[in-house]
Amino acid sequence: MVNARRILAILTKDLRDAGRDGRILVLLLLPIGMALFYNATFTDPNELPTTDVAIVDPGGGGVARELRAAAGKSVKVQMRQTRDAASARKLVAANDVDFAVVVAPAAQRGPARAELLVAEGASPTAQSVIALVPDALTHAAGREPAAQTQVRVVPAAHSKPYGLDDPRTVTILLVIVLHLVFVAMMVVPILTAEELETGTFSALRLAATGPEILAAKALAGFIFGLAGVGLIVVLTKLDIHDPSLFFGAAFGLIVSLVGFGLLTGVLWPNSNSINTYASFLLVPLVALAGAVLFAPSGILATILDVLPFSQGTKLLADGLSAHAPFHAGLVSWAVIAAWSLAGYVILVRMATRREI
Amino acid sequence: MRPVGDDRSRPRPQTDSGNRTDPRDRDDVTSEAALQKSPVEVEDLTKRYGDVRALDGVSLRTAPGEIFGLLGHNGAGKSTMIRILTGRARPTSGRARVLGHDVPRDLEAIRGQINLVAETPNVYQRATARENLELFCALYGLPKKRGAEALEQVRLSSVAGRKVKTFSTGMRQRLLLARALLNSPRVLFLDEPTRGLDPRSARDLRQTVTALADGGSTIFLTTHDMNEADELCQRVAFLAEGRLVALDTPRALKLRLASTAPALDVLLDDGTDVRLKLDEPQDTARLQQLIDTGRVRSMHSLEPTLADVFIRLAGRSLEDDRSDEAGEW
Repeated sequence: MVNARRILAILTKDLRDAGRDGRILVLLLLPIGMALFYNATFTDPNELPTTDVAIVDPGGGGVARELRAAAGKSVKVQMRQTRDAASARKLVAANDVDFAVVVAPAAQRGPARAELLVAEGASPTAQSVIALVPDALTHAAGREPAAQTQVRVVPAAHSKPYGLDDPRTVTILLVIVLHLVFVAMMVVPILTAEELETGTFSALRLAATGPEILAAKALAGFIFGLAGVGLIVVLTKLDIHDPSLFFGAAFGLIVSLVGFGLLTGVLWPNSNSINTYASFLLVPLVALAGAVLFAPSGILATILDVLPFSQGTKLLADGLSAHAPFHAGLVSWAVIAAWSLAGYVILVRMATRREI
Repeated sequence: MRPVGDDRSRPRPQTDSGNRTDPRDRDDVTSEAALQKSPVEVEDLTKRYGDVRALDGVSLRTAPGEIFGLLGHNGAGKSTMIRILTGRARPTSGRARVLGHDVPRDLEAIRGQINLVAETPNVYQRATARENLELFCALYGLPKKRGAEALEQVRLSSVAGRKVKTFSTGMRQRLLLARALLNSPRVLFLDEPTRGLDPRSARDLRQTVTALADGGSTIFLTTHDMNEADELCQRVAFLAEGRLVALDTPRALKLRLASTAPALDVLLDDGTDVRLKLDEPQDTARLQQLIDTGRVRSMHSLEPTLADVFIRLAGRSLEDDRSDEAGEW
C-alpha cells in the first residue's frame, strides 16, 4: 500500500536537495539558458513590425482607434496620448515616437484636418502607417473616405517540410526535448543513484517502501520537467497553437522517460559517473529526435518512429504549429505509452531483484 | 547444529560508572520466560546471493530489553541478518519475526516500532541536522518538535541548523542515533555503531544504548569490537560464514574456553613478569613466598577474553567442518 504522506515528504526533500546540488542546477538551467540564447539569436518571423505614434486628439481618441483598425494585423501601432502639439513635437524630436498626429478641432464643414510631425529618417513601417492617417481621420470624423482599402496579412509559404521553417521555433522545440531528456535521464538518475550510493535510500526504506521512494523521485522528475517547459515557453514567448496537446506531449514524454531514468539510477548507482558520462549519450539521442523535423526516410525514419522522444517531438510540434505538421495522433501516443510501460515494468523487476 | 549453551543466570560485577548499572547485570531480561516474548526471532534463516550463502540456517531469539550482540568477520552475515530483520531483504528460506510479525511481509505493522543505526553515516549531507530529522518525523507521522528533542538527546541542538557535510564523524554518528531514536523504537538495530568513533563518542553512544535497554527497548547490535560486546551485551552470538557457531553470555563463553585452572600474571619489583598456575602446588607456594617477601608490584588474573573465544571459534570454523565445531562447543 502506498502512503501519500510519505511520498510527499520524500518529494519535498528531493526538490529541496536538488536545488542545493550544483550538478542538477546546471542540468536544469542549461536548457533554459540555451532557449534564451536561441530566442535572442533568431528573430521571430511572426513578430509584427512596430511603430510608436503620439496622438493629440481633442475629439477623444477616435483617430487612434481608427488608425489601429486601419493598420490591422500588419503593424503593431503603439499609441501615446499627448496633451498638446508642443509635447508631441518634443517626443518626435527625442525619437521617442516615429511620428505624431495633431488633430485639429472638428469643424462643422470641410474636411477633417490634422498635422503630422514626422521624425527624420522615420522607418518604412512608420511611413506605411502615416499613409493610413487620412482615412483614419475621415472615419473618426464620421465620414466616408473617397476610397476604402483593407490591409490583410498573408502567411508566408512554407519552404521546409512540416511547416517548421522558423529556426527559432525549431531550436527552442529541440531545447525543450533536450530539457525533458536531461531531467528524465540525468536529474532523476542522479537523485536515485546518490540515495543508493550514500546509503540514504536504505535509511528511507526503514520508514517508507521502495515504491514510495521511487514514486517521489518520479514525481520530482515530472515537476522539474513540466516547470522547465513552462519556464522556457514563458521566457521565450513561444507561440503555442494547442497548449493542451503541447503540454500533454511534454508530460507524456517525461513520463515515458522517467521510468528509464529511475532504472539508470538503480543499475548505475554512481551519481558522478552519470553526471559525467550520460550527457555524451543523450545529446546524440536528442539530435536523433530532432532529425524527425527534417523529413527522414528509410531506416532512419523507421528507427525514429519507434523512439519515444521522436514521437514526443512530433506531438510537441503539432501542439506548436497551427498546421499540425505531423498529424501525430494515436500512433505517437501508443509508442510513448509502450515505452512508459516497458520502463516501469523493467524498473519494478530490477528493483525487486535488487531488493530496493 | 547447536550453538554454545546458555548461561543467563550468573551475577555480574558492578561497573565503575557511578550509579548506572552494568547492562550485563540485567540477567532477568534473558530468562526463559522473557525469551518466550521474543521481540526478535529467527528460525532456520537462510539467505543466498547466487551461490554465496550469506546466512545458513541461523536460529536465535532475543528477549525484551536485552542487548544482544552479533559478532563475526566481515562477510559473516551480520549485516545481511539486520537487512532481513529490518525488512530490507527477503530471506531465501526460514523465518524472521520482529515484535511478533513476519518480516518483510508484515513490515508495515512494525515500521514505527523499529529503527536502525547503520554502519555508514547515511544522512543527507547537503541538508541541516534539523532537516534530516524533520524528514523522518514526516515519514513516521511525528511532530517536528520530536526532531528537536532527539537532537537535544544526543547533544546536537546547538548545530541543528548546520549542514551535515560540515559535521565530524562523531557528530554524524550522533545524528544517526538521534534519527534512530525519533520513533522511540521497541527494537533498535545497531550495525557497527561505534566504528570510526573517538573513545568519548563511542562511550556516549554506549551509554545511550544502555539507557534505551533499561527503558525496555531491545537492542540488536553487530560489532567487530569484542570489548564493546563484552561490556554491553547480555548475550552474544558468533556468526562464521553465515552459520551460528556460538550463542551465550560473554562470561559463559569465556569460562568455557578457560577450562583449565586459573592463572595469575605477577609483576615483580625488578620488572620481571611471572605467570603462575593456581592448581600447581609449587606455583601457589611461590606466590605465597613472593607476597611474603614483598616483591609483588601487581597481580592480574589470566582469563580468556571474548576476542580469544572468537579467534578460536573463527579459526576452527575456517578450517574445519563447522557443524562438528558447533556441536563441540
